[in-house]
Amino acid sequence: MTTLRALGFGIWGLGFGLWALGIGMSAQTGIDRGLRENDPPRAPRGPGGDIIRGAADEGPFLRGSLIVKFRPGTPLDAQRIMLAQVDASAPQRVSYADFEIVALDAAADPEAVARQLETQPDVEYAQARYRVHPQFTPNDPLYGRQWNYPAIDMERAWDINPGATSEVVVAVLDSGIAYRPAVVRYNAAFQFRLTPNGPIFPALGVVDVPFAAAPDLAPLERFVSPRDFIWNTDLPLDLDGHGTHVTGTIGQATNNSVGGAGVAFNVRIMPVKVIGSIWDQIFGAPNRGTDDVVARGVRYAADNGAKVLNMSIGRTGPPAPAVQEAIAYAISRGAFVSIAAGNSFQNGNPVERLAEIGGLYEGAISVAAIGRDRQRAFYSTTGPYVEITAPGGNLRQGQEAGILQQTFDFDMVETYTRGPQAYRAPRFDAFAYEFFQGTSMAAPHVSGFAALLVQQGITPPAALEAVMKRYATDLGATGRDNEYGVGLINPRASLRGMGLVK
Amino acid sequence: MKIPNPKAQSPSPKALLSLLAVLVAAPVHAQEIGVRGFADIGSRTFTATESFTAVLGTDSGGVFGGGVEATLPLGLFVNVRASRFRAEGERVFIFNDERFDLGIPTVITVTPLELTGGYRLPFWTRIVPYAGVGVGWHTYTEISEFATDSENVEMRRTGLHLLGEYGVARWIAAAGELQWANVPDALGEDPNGVAAHFDEDNLGGVTFRVKIVVGR
Repeated sequence: MTTLRALGFGIWGLGFGLWALGIGMSAQTGIDRGLRENDPPRAPRGPGGDIIRGAADEGPFLRGSLIVKFRPGTPLDAQRIMLAQVDASAPQRVSYADFEIVALDAAADPEAVARQLETQPDVEYAQARYRVHPQFTPNDPLYGRQWNYPAIDMERAWDINPGATSEVVVAVLDSGIAYRPAVVRYNAAFQFRLTPNGPIFPALGVVDVPFAAAPDLAPLERFVSPRDFIWNTDLPLDLDGHGTHVTGTIGQATNNSVGGAGVAFNVRIMPVKVIGSIWDQIFGAPNRGTDDVVARGVRYAADNGAKVLNMSIGRTGPPAPAVQEAIAYAISRGAFVSIAAGNSFQNGNPVERLAEIGGLYEGAISVAAIGRDRQRAFYSTTGPYVEITAPGGNLRQGQEAGILQQTFDFDMVETYTRGPQAYRAPRFDAFAYEFFQGTSMAAPHVSGFAALLVQQGITPPAALEAVMKRYATDLGATGRDNEYGVGLINPRASLRGMGLVK
Repeated sequence: MKIPNPKAQSPSPKALLSLLAVLVAAPVHAQEIGVRGFADIGSRTFTATESFTAVLGTDSGGVFGGGVEATLPLGLFVNVRASRFRAEGERVFIFNDERFDLGIPTVITVTPLELTGGYRLPFWTRIVPYAGVGVGWHTYTEISEFATDSENVEMRRTGLHLLGEYGVARWIAAAGELQWANVPDALGEDPNGVAAHFDEDNLGGVTFRVKIVVGR
């Protein structure tokens, strides 16, 4: 994942020649590699321990707790009795949620307990806290052009609506965003293994980690109502790079002689962190990206004025009622939701539960991915819930066939990929342009597209979905199909809408 | 100008059947061939009510035109008229019967060229209703911002119409005229058009005109 950024840093002096060829390179600001050595020691952010934590051996859901929603009007005493019958603690109501989190014995099987609880008439649903993860497939970086925009006739769409305006707020429910500078003190208190039998990575102890705003997403004023549901703060910094990349496709600054373009480059962005990264775990984040966290993030975004929600996240497993109800709530508040259809086609093509929700509501849409050849990308999940298609990239067709956006310089972030000896604290203030592939990359095309439509005057979520589907370019089998849904998004035709005759 | 004897020139049943509606104070029947010009201004209400309302905000608008008419013996006449309707609106999206204006200016122009034959009814000396029937060639254009040439619309359709008139003076007359035109299968071919959405295909409508006639 380093080709492009290595090129960028190494030959920055040749930058003009390369820019003249239309090639975006590395970040130009926000990078201060010398800062690492000058970082002053700070106090730990949280308590630490000396345990070995296996990052790769955790199951699909958290143990030791459960999501429960009781029917309205169920007395608290009745709730407690029901929970006591399954050895669960008293319910704990969390913000931006209409469900409770209850604690279980760590050895208990949350799914079994959930099934037991659901036999109670006063329980609307109970479910394990399934982990939700980003929908991208990281790749080796390569420098190239953003073929994805001509593929959807974006240039002519921008003629009609040049990037929306700051009146439209798009929430990015993801791993956070590199949206502002900061130095955050963490305590990497744990040793860990990346694989069950892999080498042990040492505890780094107290580290001050620098962050910078992605230069091509700036300025800071673009970002509104930031919220971090992983750390329970108002500082949803990206410790992964996924959310920053996704945000670039939605709203990368455009026509600024820097880097690439985004679909709706004038919108304001609401960073809502609902996904944790490996570094979030290493630093001891109190929450993971589970259904309840995602559901809270969805409600938060809807309550705080977002008109479009991008969810380049997903999971398989059982249905996700907490997220489903949150999405229904967001739609009822006038927010349109774009959800990645999933990347698991080659892994048995399981049902993607968040994307499945998109198929249930007018106003939420699940987005499949195509490659540069306009064929379904090899990873893109298929199913009856697939509704529409957007470019997601297919790196099997060449290095330039991914979706290019600015994100972190992963040499500075994924230090654990080089073994324990080279393992050190990350830096989130160095940027590069990376090709990613995934339905994670497809969904933000639709989110940006939705923002343009909102600006154009179509605001009800159901109407947004309808106009997108009406003008989609049919791909695959004639009519709707399980690979492409109704077809490839056509922003220009949608923005033009209807004349009297055509 | 001779004043015809109404009793001697009563209208035929066929001509009466083709009468749409007319009240016109007119010069009387001319027994000889004459030529007169006319200009008119009026209002047209389109049959495709919902479609025009969606795009233009109204289903009617001003129309103006003019033409030449040949008066023939026995109260017959033939005229040729060109007229023009032009209105500005904007492109829209319709969802669940809710209209969303998209802010993309659109200009719709309808230009009928009509050939009409008719018969004046010599009931009164100065009030002479008439009925006419004819064929029209209707040019429809729809030009919107950001459109390519192929996305703009220019088409011609043929339709039938009925009308009537009344004149008041020898050389210069004011007249009122009501016309109904039927131009089927003109709209609604493209499934992404508003007309297709509302299942309306007729470019015709009803036009009321005030007409200035010059000549005898």
